[in-house]
Amino acid sequence: MDEITTDILVIGSGAAGLAASVYAAESSQQILVIDKGAIGRSGSTVGAVQIASLGSWSHREDSLDAYQQDIRESGRGLSSPVLTDVLVQDISARLEDLLQWGLKLDKNEHNDILVAATSGHTTPRSISSKKGKTGLAILQVLTKRAKNSSNIKRWSDVITLELVKANGRVAGAVVLDLKENKSYLIRCKTVILATGGIGQLYPTTSNPAQSTGDGFALSLTAGAALVDMEQIQFYPVSLIHPSSLSGLCLSFYHSAKLYNRNGERFMDKYEPETMENTTRDKLAIAIASEVEEGLGTPGGGVWVDATGNIEEVKRQFHHEYQLCLDRGVDLARKQAEAGPAAHFIMGGIWIDGDAASTTPGLYAAGESAGGLHGGNRLGNNALSECIVFGARAGKAAARESARMKSIMAGVPLQTKKADKMINVISNSEQGTERSYACKKAVQALMGEYVGVVRSTKGLLQAKAEIKVIEEKLDQVKITSSLDFYSKEILDYIEAVLMVTTAQAIVEAALTRKESRGAHHNKNFPEQLTEAKHTIVKVENGKMTVQEEGEV
Amino acid sequence: MSQLVVKIDRSEMRTDQYEIDLKTGRTVLEAVEAIYNHHDPSLAYRYSCRTGLCTTCMMLINGKPGLSCMKMAEPGEDGVLHLAPLPKGRTIKDLIKEV
Repeated sequence: MDEITTDILVIGSGAAGLAASVYAAESSQQILVIDKGAIGRSGSTVGAVQIASLGSWSHREDSLDAYQQDIRESGRGLSSPVLTDVLVQDISARLEDLLQWGLKLDKNEHNDILVAATSGHTTPRSISSKKGKTGLAILQVLTKRAKNSSNIKRWSDVITLELVKANGRVAGAVVLDLKENKSYLIRCKTVILATGGIGQLYPTTSNPAQSTGDGFALSLTAGAALVDMEQIQFYPVSLIHPSSLSGLCLSFYHSAKLYNRNGERFMDKYEPETMENTTRDKLAIAIASEVEEGLGTPGGGVWVDATGNIEEVKRQFHHEYQLCLDRGVDLARKQAEAGPAAHFIMGGIWIDGDAASTTPGLYAAGESAGGLHGGNRLGNNALSECIVFGARAGKAAARESARMKSIMAGVPLQTKKADKMINVISNSEQGTERSYACKKAVQALMGEYVGVVRSTKGLLQAKAEIKVIEEKLDQVKITSSLDFYSKEILDYIEAVLMVTTAQAIVEAALTRKESRGAHHNKNFPEQLTEAKHTIVKVENGKMTVQEEGEV
Repeated sequence: MSQLVVKIDRSEMRTDQYEIDLKTGRTVLEAVEAIYNHHDPSLAYRYSCRTGLCTTCMMLINGKPGLSCMKMAEPGEDGVLHLAPLPKGRTIKDLIKEV
């Protein structure tokens, strides 16, 4: 296997990965940032509409304490105080950096910076760029900066098969260059995982094609601990039809009205004070409960009515409005069918305030990391997390790498999973299973048994079905030539990683014997007095789960 | 459900033609996915956001550059939906350009 060396390997190039790269590059360390898709254009960041923040635009009553209190309140006892503290302390300075590097904020008719209210934030603190294409705007700024940094190399269409260790620390990765199906061993001093979320483990998602949760499977195999993996946010109000827009977030839900099939404005039963303007966990559980009780629409959702707030929708969420209109969904005139879609995982790689995982040499930032949002992420806090913890990871990895004398050249690096995957691909002519179908099977069972409303019986069924898919993947059939780019190979690797991540989610969900935040088990509908974290690890090849107190 | 004939200019100077069943109101990307899923697993294509933002699914659609996630799957003047990689830059395979 050919070898490549760098000081810091960054896996993933959304806002977190690019921020990590850019801040790490302020040192003299060499950085290699890789992405299984197109660099800077393949993650959830692309679709992010707004960013919550503190700055000169903040309302008078807003403060570090108020922001931190909102996150902790929303976290249902699972938000890490260490991480929330870092977020509110750093956010203002990170935004200032972005503004200095060229980010332009949207303004109102008085030429003041536009600050919007979002459910769960007690004070308006959401700002935007490029008329609500904020994620895209931040990516453009970070990509430009990365291109201008002489110590950052970028490599698109490269997927990671396994993180490899030497002397108890992560010391590199086996990757596959999809363009020519050639594997490489990358040797480095530190690795930063910023591979994003798990939306593609579900049949309906707001997430891009690449959100297959690769980082969770990779870090587990490297011995890192994952926290609260059962905490998955379903965006409560996402479009059901047409199929091409299935899962599209309708960001205006807080000021729209929701009705069940009988025309009842059902939020009156669940949250009479806030109605639709409540947090995402509560709204998703309410909608899913209506559907479970047979009160759903023909498409398995509820009706969303935005006719009363259409001017606000057109102004603040123009891209969504126009996209719907272009596909025949006229929100100004008619109700649309909407329901929950897999959107964000609050759980993830267990990190400290410097984004270091429990495995030496391995850092994680953005959606790959867990513990900041606890049981429910507030709207617009995802981008904030990416830029704050991306920067933290980049700086800390650069400091640690600078202290290390050299890359561990020549040290034999043990690989297990990568060898097996490469072997299965090489012998796939005799196989029988389509890799794409295996991915669909994971999505189907996660949607059926590990969705908004869960049950212990369903979770056990999910566990059994995942095992069957895992076995099928050993018999994968790849029909395309192994000498060129093959979507079948990409689907195969993603499916293998999805299976491990799905197992972690199910194990964590089975361990939490209560309903808290986004985890709702109808066999344990109450929330216990004491909040505990679920911690998933792989030890000696076996997945284990423990419950722990305060992180 | 209606029949759609899709012609794709692929790597190694190959052009393949597929007859697919597709519901009306589907996008070009959905047509390409249907071909990969049910007709030809060797077809290579790229996409990410599905909402017209990332632009990674750009290709020539009936001779004009367009986002496959945004354009409806409709035949051109000759009754065939014609897809090809963008002309500029290196093509990695089929509809995938180097970025």
